[in-house]
Amino acid sequence: MGIGKVFGQGLATTAKKGRLVAYLWTIYLLFALLVVAPFYLLLQSQLSRSLLGERLFAGVDLLWIGDLVYKYHEMPPLVIGWFLGTSLLFLVLLAFLNGGVIGRIAAGEEKVTFRNFFGDCGRYFGRFFRVFLLSLIGYFLVLGILGRFVSMPFRLWSKGASTQWTTIISSSLRLVVFLLLFSIVKMFFDYVKVSLVADDSRKAVRTTLRNFRFLGKHFFRAWALFLVVGLIFVLSTWVYLVVAKALPKAGLGPVLLFIWQQAYFLVRLWTGVLCFATVYHFLTAHRPPS
Amino acid sequence: MRNNTSGSCLVLVIALLLASPLRGAQETQTIEKGSPLRYIISVELDATGKRLLGKEEILWKNETRDEVPDMWFHLYWNAFKNEKSAMLEESREEGALGRSTEEEGGWGYIDITRIALADGTDLRPTLEFGSPDLPAHPEDQTVARVRFPAAVKPGEEVRLQIEFESKIPRTVARSGYYRESYFIAQWFPKPGVYEEGRGWNCHQYHLNSEFFADFADFSVEITVPAAFVVGASGKQISAVSSSDGKTVAYKFEQARIHDFAWTADPAYIKVERDFVAAQEVTGQEYADLSAKVRVPVDELRLPDVKMILLIKPEHKAQTERHFKALRLALKYYGLWFGPYPYETVTMVDPPFRTGSGGMEYPTLFTAGTGVLRDKKVLSPEGVIIHEFGHGYWYGLVANNEFEEAWLDEGINTYSTGRVQGKAYGPGMFSASLFGWPLTWLINLPTSSDYEMNRAAAIMIVELDPVITPSWLFSSRMSYAMNVYMRASTCLDTLERYLGEAAMLRVMRTFQMRWRFRHPRTQDFINVVNEVSGQDLSWFFEQLFYTTHNFDYGVSRLQTKEKENLYPGVFDVDGRKEEVKQKDIDKAKKRARDKKKGETIYVTDVTVRRFGEALLGGEARVKLRVVFEDGSEEVSYWDGQDRWESFRFEKPAKAKFAEVDPDLIWLVDSNLSNNSLKAKAGRNGVIRLTSRLLFWVQNYLHHLSALS
Repeated sequence: MGIGKVFGQGLATTAKKGRLVAYLWTIYLLFALLVVAPFYLLLQSQLSRSLLGERLFAGVDLLWIGDLVYKYHEMPPLVIGWFLGTSLLFLVLLAFLNGGVIGRIAAGEEKVTFRNFFGDCGRYFGRFFRVFLLSLIGYFLVLGILGRFVSMPFRLWSKGASTQWTTIISSSLRLVVFLLLFSIVKMFFDYVKVSLVADDSRKAVRTTLRNFRFLGKHFFRAWALFLVVGLIFVLSTWVYLVVAKALPKAGLGPVLLFIWQQAYFLVRLWTGVLCFATVYHFLTAHRPPS
Repeated sequence: MRNNTSGSCLVLVIALLLASPLRGAQETQTIEKGSPLRYIISVELDATGKRLLGKEEILWKNETRDEVPDMWFHLYWNAFKNEKSAMLEESREEGALGRSTEEEGGWGYIDITRIALADGTDLRPTLEFGSPDLPAHPEDQTVARVRFPAAVKPGEEVRLQIEFESKIPRTVARSGYYRESYFIAQWFPKPGVYEEGRGWNCHQYHLNSEFFADFADFSVEITVPAAFVVGASGKQISAVSSSDGKTVAYKFEQARIHDFAWTADPAYIKVERDFVAAQEVTGQEYADLSAKVRVPVDELRLPDVKMILLIKPEHKAQTERHFKALRLALKYYGLWFGPYPYETVTMVDPPFRTGSGGMEYPTLFTAGTGVLRDKKVLSPEGVIIHEFGHGYWYGLVANNEFEEAWLDEGINTYSTGRVQGKAYGPGMFSASLFGWPLTWLINLPTSSDYEMNRAAAIMIVELDPVITPSWLFSSRMSYAMNVYMRASTCLDTLERYLGEAAMLRVMRTFQMRWRFRHPRTQDFINVVNEVSGQDLSWFFEQLFYTTHNFDYGVSRLQTKEKENLYPGVFDVDGRKEEVKQKDIDKAKKRARDKKKGETIYVTDVTVRRFGEALLGGEARVKLRVVFEDGSEEVSYWDGQDRWESFRFEKPAKAKFAEVDPDLIWLVDSNLSNNSLKAKAGRNGVIRLTSRLLFWVQNYLHHLSALS
């Protein structure tokens, strides 16, 4: 089956599973609210009775930024600690949510409900968490070790540069190579996750090894499909930035910006679901479930 | 109409001029040879060996009443000789040791191969290195001295003949080479400044310091391979090819400058433009300024200047941006602080990886740009204005940068902010990803220089006083933020306190009075006091000489209905009468029903001095209280005690109380406590948090790539 057809199937499935995006948006929003809550409370306690607090409404202003930096310049370790802690927690939560998303995609025509979504989350959590740990090794090997070797020629080229153009082109190419390597690792483990659901297997390591064989056979088509979905993300980000830049800063501007930001974020989540859907359809089209 | 206006202006100008403290200090300075110090240098660039071969003649006239037995001079490039130099030891301590010196061939140094008097007396046997600064770096070789066979008597002249060989460093501290590009600064043996009664002022080359030298007449011949394009301080007199055509000798001359730098690169594109004052400044601009600074228009008139740009081919598209910024700098520095007195100014787009960007030398400065620059981001404009401005603060008013760096860096940062603000308005923050400007995609916030400076200034107030010898600051960051940002913020504060016109008069008087001289901080304070007509010494004591934090604010705002009855037992007509809370409530209700809108409210405000810094002289903290009926009350406090309370009785509740409502005291480290509202508001905080929320959502979604 051609990747165009698989992509079409992915779009159709994502359209049918709109609730997945709604659930994800709600969960992301609630978690983000949890992350920003301490900052809100801090700002509220410090600035709600100051006229400077009203200037926050007018936009970014170095006078109040300077004040905040001065007041809280000893807080970065606490802030970094809070972000790291919540990030780790969210990574675990993601392993949980992925089960729900892929489980519902694999459920075919079955309707997405709150109950069966979280049922799948719980059902697949253990194996997805193991895949997450395996993926960390994968990222380390590919980006940490292979990436270092790959970037060497770029560094050498940049070292002998005679103008800034060389360094810009060199670092940009290095970034592209890194992103491509990253996309390969991410794609690989997405296929592992989808295989685990499609095969209803509990063996994360075995499925991972089997996946080498599958992607070895279909690598370029699978990667092309993956990059097409990635392109949607890039394009949507570009559209978001262009529109956000044009929105007014005063009046209704901030409200419109918030709505536009959330719309963009919904598209991002939709792209994530589409990604899993296309992987699922590609996998099932090229390899019947075991 | 026009004639009448002009007539009125003329009368005003004459009247103001008669009252002006500037009278007698505005003579136009002409640049003529005849400095007590003269250099005649010829230097050859050995591009293969990365060396300089130089011959130097120094003529120094003793214009003091001292008999001078020796001469101390700087050999700055020995700072790059090994890691025992003061500069590299300090760099190592700061963790800022540049990598380039570690590369093979990266070291730089200067050897004096011959030093003699004009009569042939060899002084080399008396040559010794000195380590005048503490903490000591005894192996440093950046300061040397020679002894004369007989002391130089007052009025006598001494003529030294020096030959030197230098190894050009590989890009360190704005000197050096990268591939075929050279930037050559602080490169020749240069005497310190002889101070009567105190001897030679000649400091070692430190990490956190710039320079100090005497005004001199320079004549410099630079011989380079023929392919090179050369730029240098001063005016090019000639360019003579060698008989074999392989080299060209460029001769530059300039009187009354205190340093000389040059650059050579085969890739430079040399572009020249004229600054034609008559096209840049209108008659109205002269007249307006004349009224402001109380100087006759004729003394304000700017001269024409030859602008020279050496730009790298990859930045050629930015040629006009460079010239526009330089024209605006010449205009506003000239109008506000005094006419630019030299014939030429050379602007150098620094060669790639020579690390020479953003630095000033007399009549020459380096800018700095990238191949991709958004016009909304004022770069290279900001650096051009700043480095050109150093031609005034350092170049003409030549303070000792070792001992009081704020006098040029702080004043010039303040001046840059003024000029840039006037010429361009606020600039957009700069951000790039792998060299690509993010401002092409995102509207980043804009800001004025004074806001940036304040943000940095309040962070370091308690580290070191602004007035600290450069090499004795606790860190490089403290040095930079104090002498640039904090000093500039204090001057912005002073401007807000004195008013724009008075501050312009201060700055212009200081510039014109101290041109071609070496002022100290006290000289600046004297000018401030004289021109403002106030004793503002306290301002400098609190904000420049100490580490006192300046922070006044409102700590309490309480507004409530005025009580006429109080609970308790009172003696009324010889008997005891008890007033209960319910009696009070009833009375209040009656009063409200009877005279609606005439209820009196008592508002209590407490103003506090949170910081150590104290106001002085005639300065007062202004308190403004705004009430719900739109009325407002203003009170003043001398700010000497830790706190003061104010009470207002008005027919309306207070909305908010605010100290320093006009934001005079920009140096205040905490503006959020400057005001207190009666009721809390959430709009601003919610808006900011919603922004943060979106970025956190995106961050979390990026994490999904890992799981």
